[in-house]
Amino acid sequence: MDTIVAIATSSGRSAIGLIRLSGPDSLSILQALIHDPLFTPEPRRVYLKGILRESGELLDEALICFFESPHSFSGEDMLEISCHGSPLILRRALDLAQQLGARLAHPGEFTLRACKNSKMNLTQAEAVRDLIDAQTDAAASQALRQLSGELSATLQPAKHKLIQNIVRLESALEFVEDDLPQVETKQISGELVEVTNMIAALVGTFASGRVLRDGIKVTLVGRPNVGKSSVFNRLVGIDRAIVTEIPGTTRDTITESIILGGIPVSLTDTAGIREAEGRIEELGVERTHRAAADSDLLLVVVDGSKELTTEDLGILEEAAKAKHVVAINKSDLPNSVRSEESLSEFSVVHVSAVTGEGLDELTAAILEPFGTVDSETAGLLITDSRHYDLLRRAQSSLESSRELLDSGASEELVVVGLHNALRFLGEITGETTPDDILGEIFSTFCIGK
Amino acid sequence: MMLAFDEIFDVIVIGGGHAGCEAASAAARLGAQTALVTLNLDLIGQMSCNPAIGGIAKGHLVREIDALGGIMGRVADRTGIQFRLLNRSRGPAVQSPRTQSDRALYRKEMRKMLEGTPNLQLRQGMVVDLLVQQEKIRGVEMQDGRRIAAVAVVIAAGTFLNGLVHTGRRTYTAGRAGEPASIELAESLKQLGFPVGRLKTGTPPRIDGRTIDWSAFQAQAADERPVLFSFSSDEITQPQLQCYVGYTTPTLHEAIRRNLDQSPLYSGQIKGVGPRYCPSIEDKVVKFAEKDRHQLFLEPEGHDTNEVYLNGFSTSLPAGLQQELVRLVPGLEEARIIRPGYAIEYDYVDPRELGPDLQSRKVSGLFHAGQVNGTTGYEEAACQGLLAGINAACLVTRRPMFRLRREESYIGVLVDDLISQGVDEPYRIFTSRAEYRLALRHDNADERLRAYGRELGLVGDVDWERFNRRRDNVAGAKAALKSTRLRPSDAAYSAASAGLGDLRSSITLEELARRPGITPELIHRLLINQGELSVALSDVETAVADDLYSGYIRMQDAAVKRLRHHDLTPIPQNLDYRSINGLSHEMIERLERSRPLTIGDARRVSGLTAAALSTLYVVASVHN
Repeated sequence: MDTIVAIATSSGRSAIGLIRLSGPDSLSILQALIHDPLFTPEPRRVYLKGILRESGELLDEALICFFESPHSFSGEDMLEISCHGSPLILRRALDLAQQLGARLAHPGEFTLRACKNSKMNLTQAEAVRDLIDAQTDAAASQALRQLSGELSATLQPAKHKLIQNIVRLESALEFVEDDLPQVETKQISGELVEVTNMIAALVGTFASGRVLRDGIKVTLVGRPNVGKSSVFNRLVGIDRAIVTEIPGTTRDTITESIILGGIPVSLTDTAGIREAEGRIEELGVERTHRAAADSDLLLVVVDGSKELTTEDLGILEEAAKAKHVVAINKSDLPNSVRSEESLSEFSVVHVSAVTGEGLDELTAAILEPFGTVDSETAGLLITDSRHYDLLRRAQSSLESSRELLDSGASEELVVVGLHNALRFLGEITGETTPDDILGEIFSTFCIGK
Repeated sequence: MMLAFDEIFDVIVIGGGHAGCEAASAAARLGAQTALVTLNLDLIGQMSCNPAIGGIAKGHLVREIDALGGIMGRVADRTGIQFRLLNRSRGPAVQSPRTQSDRALYRKEMRKMLEGTPNLQLRQGMVVDLLVQQEKIRGVEMQDGRRIAAVAVVIAAGTFLNGLVHTGRRTYTAGRAGEPASIELAESLKQLGFPVGRLKTGTPPRIDGRTIDWSAFQAQAADERPVLFSFSSDEITQPQLQCYVGYTTPTLHEAIRRNLDQSPLYSGQIKGVGPRYCPSIEDKVVKFAEKDRHQLFLEPEGHDTNEVYLNGFSTSLPAGLQQELVRLVPGLEEARIIRPGYAIEYDYVDPRELGPDLQSRKVSGLFHAGQVNGTTGYEEAACQGLLAGINAACLVTRRPMFRLRREESYIGVLVDDLISQGVDEPYRIFTSRAEYRLALRHDNADERLRAYGRELGLVGDVDWERFNRRRDNVAGAKAALKSTRLRPSDAAYSAASAGLGDLRSSITLEELARRPGITPELIHRLLINQGELSVALSDVETAVADDLYSGYIRMQDAAVKRLRHHDLTPIPQNLDYRSINGLSHEMIERLERSRPLTIGDARRVSGLTAAALSTLYVVASVHN
């Protein structure tokens, strides 16, 4: 097994950058990096050491920590080097490690090695991926929950109930001459409904769960010069978009990732929608339409100090077809009463990009359609689309089985869907074998003609 | 070392039970000069336990044996005295034929069958040693000193390997009550380095029928329309008898509990593991103490005997106590035991050592079939015997080895379970062991397997023609079901629609047959009403069942395929499991024993944890 290396923190300037090595040569590479062949660190203790270039010149002062196999994330010898966060320094340190024999890791290779060394199972590995990708604290806490097996644990009662009913039906088929209790179709049907509901409830959390993990895309739309870019800048918190008095200043779309109320939001500012006056602006408007079509929510900005124009109304009509929030900007100026009346059908928020007034309300209004996701109090949410898919399939298998049961079909048909559901759940929680089912039968019923 | 032999054969089969009979018959009919060596020629085909063949999933096995050209089905049809199709009220995939058999007649017919088989010789005697040179079987040595040479040897020794009978605290070595155990052969297997374990089974007392008050029991009659095992049989020949059902009482349970100290099961005297689905009466009253009665069946053992088998009362309590306890059953107050029940412990060889052809990986030319592989049941034994006999002959005649897959047969399921998972209790077949249960019906065993039997050379011209005719007839029945429509104006319509609610405008018989509660008998009647006079009920049954399940089979296939797309990932055969970080010692052992070829095979290795499986998957994908 070779030794792999990677920069573990995300790219870009930051206070600290972490370089990680995993593999049998981790320690010897460290000794070479600090030009001290006799250095034998105590595992899991942090040392301050100078990382030296080949020339012996100091590259960076770094905190290093050595993890000895098997007590590490990957199960192999591992090394974590915390450098200063300059991309240049990190790049250079990475090069050094590679010159000393480490290989640049493929994406996910650390986790793959952890899997291989039975440090985690596949569900946990998926959770680690989410944890790494987690953009917000809320998403991270969801990923942590999965890591500790909470999804499996949550599914256990459903799985158990499912097995119980499979046992009833299977034993009726297999031990027809034994003195077994009658199959109570009504009771089984009722319990299948319970299991289905449990799973359906989890399936239902996927919308919120996905929002938590992938975030939402919000696109600002509106007539030129209503202050979209000002609202955008207010939400982003920096002067990202160029704001002028000249209508049509924003010609291209600009996207920034921000966190609103714990949710990652990809916020896009667009060119104002109007009859374009030039080829460039025309292209800009086209992109606006594309961005709008691609977003989860449209934030329509209107100028509250003026009457609504036909362009405004056209945009509002379009926006009404999707999830949307209307921001009435320029609340610092006297507002037009007629505009208020035309907007009575819409849910509106008064904001002032100039004073910052109404921004909290706007944030709340943007998040409201996606369900309030409070990671502290919310239960387990399904964030992985593979889990969502498996649960949905389990749910529909269960539903078809129950229909068959209710219509009086023979047990061997009813159990097809139940076994399929069990297989789907098993992909998340670990498998149930026919022997497990038989074992359950023998401990439940006295079999033995 | 040169070995001198008294006789030379191609194939030797050790044991004349259900596995041995099939093995010897198949090998001989495939052209191998075959010797069946057994302790007692008069007990060939003996049913050591209950006098019945078939049952749920077991009946499927018998029909598969028959489709391949085996003999159990034919003998069972000739000697059956109470045919019943089990699960008649359920779907065709889980229906299974069963018959009570005349025990003595079964032995007689089986011996006649073997004696009429060309290339097959019967030899009485006890095999005490396996002669092995350079990891190849050379022959066997008998207790009387004779040495017999063979290219292939099938061990089908049943419970005789190191057999130890228990009744109460008394134990004695025996293969069955009153017959000697094979101690030396068991030792020989151990010497060869085979991993040997210990299992236990038991049998109930046999009662003198003249001492039973039959009126206290509920009679259970044979089917009016018997469903036979063999695709070659036309009708039953034996007059049919009734069985009787009765129950134990709390008084009896109490008496058993009071005497548990005399049970070798509860004193720790018995070490072997018994089958959970066939518990002794002691186990029943202890483990299911809340039940106030347990079901018993009185099964006549044949036309010419007074012996009655007390099914459900398997026990290893002392013989004298058995007599007292039996008399606590209502209707058995005056009953006298002819043969007491007993428990028997015996050696089995870990079947994970075998290939899918049932040949040992350790000693080439050596095949294991039946209880030696840890199974229980006549049908389970017979199908292994058939497979081992076929492959012993294939080995001799240098033909490719024959194996069956899980998705095409219960035999494939059984063998695959054995060789990949091993056993930790006597293994019995169940329909739920088959992932493809809906496709593996008793009535389509011929469609699934007849061609294999023909190709091997076990299915003769007459049977092959018969099969082709049936195939055409089923196809004809299918066409008739599709093309025959019931319209409200038809006279048959009102008859069919009674109690069915909406039959709407018109419906084909195929559509009608899919509805719950519509029997093939009704469909058959309707077909005849519509002028399809030549169609046979059994062909309609098969046609309807094929259609009924096709959608479900597709659905199930899709689900299995979706989840099992990793299953085809090959595992490098030179993989050193010990070099994989993080596999526990136990997992390494399990993998080394079974050497799975693919991730799918590994999934079925018993006791392999999900974590170990994903580790293996990662390693295998890195290797590929």
